[in-house]
Amino acid sequence: MAKIDLVNVTKRFNKTVALDGIDLTIHDKEFFVLFGPAGAGKTTLLKVIAGVEFPEVGEVRISDENVNLVEPAKRNISMVFENYALYPHMNIFDNIASPMRSPLYKKDEATIKREVHKVASMMKIDHLLERLPSQVSNGQRQRTALGRALVRDPNVFLMDEPIAHLDAKLRHVMRAELKEMQHEFSTTTIYVTHDYLEALSLGDRVGIINEGKIVQIGTGEEVYLTPANEFVARLMGDPEINIFEIDLVDEDGVLGGVMLGQKKPHLIPEDVAKVINDGGYTKIRIGLRGNDFNYSFTKVSPEYMDATVYSVEPIGNKTILVVDVNGEKLRVIAPNDIKVELDQPIYVNVKMDKAMFFNAEDGNFIIRHNQKQLLEVD
Amino acid sequence: MAKLILKNVFKRYENKDKKKKKAVNPLAVNNFSLETEDGEFIGILGPSGCGKTTSLRMIAGLEDITDGEIYIGDMKVNDVDPKDRGIGLAFEDYALYPPLSVYDNIAFNLKAKNVSADDIKKEIDRIAPMLKVEELLEMRPAKLSGGQKQRVNLARAIIRKPKLLLLDEPMSHLDGKMRQVLRIELQRLHKEIKCTTIIVTHDQLEAMSLADRIAIMKDGELQQFGTPLEVYDNPVNEFVAGFIGEPPMNINTVKVEKTDKGTFFKFVDADIAIPVPDRYLPVVSEGMKVRLGVRPTDLMIGDENSKGSDAKISVFENLGEERKISFRVGTEFLTLVTPDEKRYKQGDPVKLEVKADKTHLFDVETGEVIRAK
Repeated sequence: MAKIDLVNVTKRFNKTVALDGIDLTIHDKEFFVLFGPAGAGKTTLLKVIAGVEFPEVGEVRISDENVNLVEPAKRNISMVFENYALYPHMNIFDNIASPMRSPLYKKDEATIKREVHKVASMMKIDHLLERLPSQVSNGQRQRTALGRALVRDPNVFLMDEPIAHLDAKLRHVMRAELKEMQHEFSTTTIYVTHDYLEALSLGDRVGIINEGKIVQIGTGEEVYLTPANEFVARLMGDPEINIFEIDLVDEDGVLGGVMLGQKKPHLIPEDVAKVINDGGYTKIRIGLRGNDFNYSFTKVSPEYMDATVYSVEPIGNKTILVVDVNGEKLRVIAPNDIKVELDQPIYVNVKMDKAMFFNAEDGNFIIRHNQKQLLEVD
Repeated sequence: MAKLILKNVFKRYENKDKKKKKAVNPLAVNNFSLETEDGEFIGILGPSGCGKTTSLRMIAGLEDITDGEIYIGDMKVNDVDPKDRGIGLAFEDYALYPPLSVYDNIAFNLKAKNVSADDIKKEIDRIAPMLKVEELLEMRPAKLSGGQKQRVNLARAIIRKPKLLLLDEPMSHLDGKMRQVLRIELQRLHKEIKCTTIIVTHDQLEAMSLADRIAIMKDGELQQFGTPLEVYDNPVNEFVAGFIGEPPMNINTVKVEKTDKGTFFKFVDADIAIPVPDRYLPVVSEGMKVRLGVRPTDLMIGDENSKGSDAKISVFENLGEERKISFRVGTEFLTLVTPDEKRYKQGDPVKLEVKADKTHLFDVETGEVIRAK
């Protein structure tokens, strides 16, 4: 059980700044996901907490105690890596027992037996203790690895992309496996990933890191629905969000946005317009995900923009269309049985009530329609 | 441009290990027949070791054919040299010549054929914009990103105006976003050059998004050949059903049970029972075990009046655009995906419904599809 505080943690490798003044508090028993692209500093941050890397500047505190000078082995931190690293020649029992047979955490065999059974029943693998890792399922192997990491009751549990090496389909299953047993371990956990689905699914909170800096911290819904900036918006979702500039026009006090070479402005929702006007924003970009469009093969209303089909990808349960509106390529999600040819005309409209509004000057998020209601948990 | 025809093609690699003279290798490709339309984009899809690359190499002439015939257009190519088959090749490895500029890399094959410098320039000016490499022509390969290298590689393959373009996992070195971009460009390129194209891949998403038709292989044998929607909606066996689609189709063992409320598929490893769709009633019998396949998007949570099966949520994931709900079934999950925004918790009891017309049945022993009468 432990709270973790990082205070102004900075780390350089030669001239590269890997961590740049990180301030972060991870609550006791929280499942915290650290999410970002390759090279963002995720793993370095994990290593600094584990004590495998030294911060150059700043403090790492575990339960309010500065551990900068505490050796990794004495921090009582457990790590789970990609591929689990189970001992193939040991059965599940001995694998789970192995940390308690190490010199530092040595326990007597009676305690070991009790603890292994406790963890194994928590992980629902108590009927498999005699089996070798090769004789159990993938999910059960993952449970064994987690059980082994938990058995000595660590202060902190660090997981570095534990399922990143699996193919996309297996990742779906293993993510659900992890999530199912999450509430079983009430240990402060930091989970590193570059997969936005894992971040959204698993984290009590998600911390998004880029170029050594924390960009946003929030629940999965917060970072998905109200990303701090365009960078975060682009990390979340597949196909990638569409972001493009609009020109603001004020017609008799009604704010609209002219986009993509159209003549007529699209109406901006009132609550959004107020924030834009009050904030004095003049340059705006909007972000729309693949589902935030309507399309049609006839021009049903003047708002529908003339477009052509640039590419068609039927990927099973849906089709991803890229449509070209005056040179801007938009990624639009359509049903899987849609019949279209490349370069055929199509008409698309934007759902302005789903649009995210960004300040084009710095890329920061301003507002979206109904923002408060969207984030209310019922 | 040309049709490609494979007639009962077999491949068995010779045993090179002299100590085991008598041992015979299993067939790498087993009775593979395929006929494409002119200008069609074909995906050959399967897991590693399924024979897809071997098939491509036989088409290219890089591998002998043990038995069978291959035609490119009207020409039987069994004994034709690779260079005379009229093919363009792009592999996973870009294999660009490091000391040559991008321009000279693309020009290389034409130079070898003594095409005049003027004609080469004309061709490169035509091809470069299609692959968006105009800006790169003076650069050396070492300066290029992975995506750019593969574009140059593709330019080199199509500059000879091949009758048949063969691509072997051209995107497996690239990261997710770059793949998305190149996939779209390949689709555009194919529309422009209209060359019959074969892409070999283990990535079902790649095959689905690019190919007009997909040939799915396993253990050297063709399993199914059809459009992306056909293989998605009507898989011929459990292997194809599980291989196509993400998240994968739920496939679970169920037992047919008759009660006073009707006939049900009762899950063997969970307390879930769903009504047997009417069209299957003639082909199932009480006590029979079958494998039931349902795509995650074909399961739904019913309202309070629902007659669906009682089930308890094991995992609830809010994934932004959609919600994924999993139900524990033995060591596996039964998974549902919905755009519905309602939030649930672990342990919540719900009514589980199935779109009856979207269910698939497979034989427990053979994995072959059981069709409704």
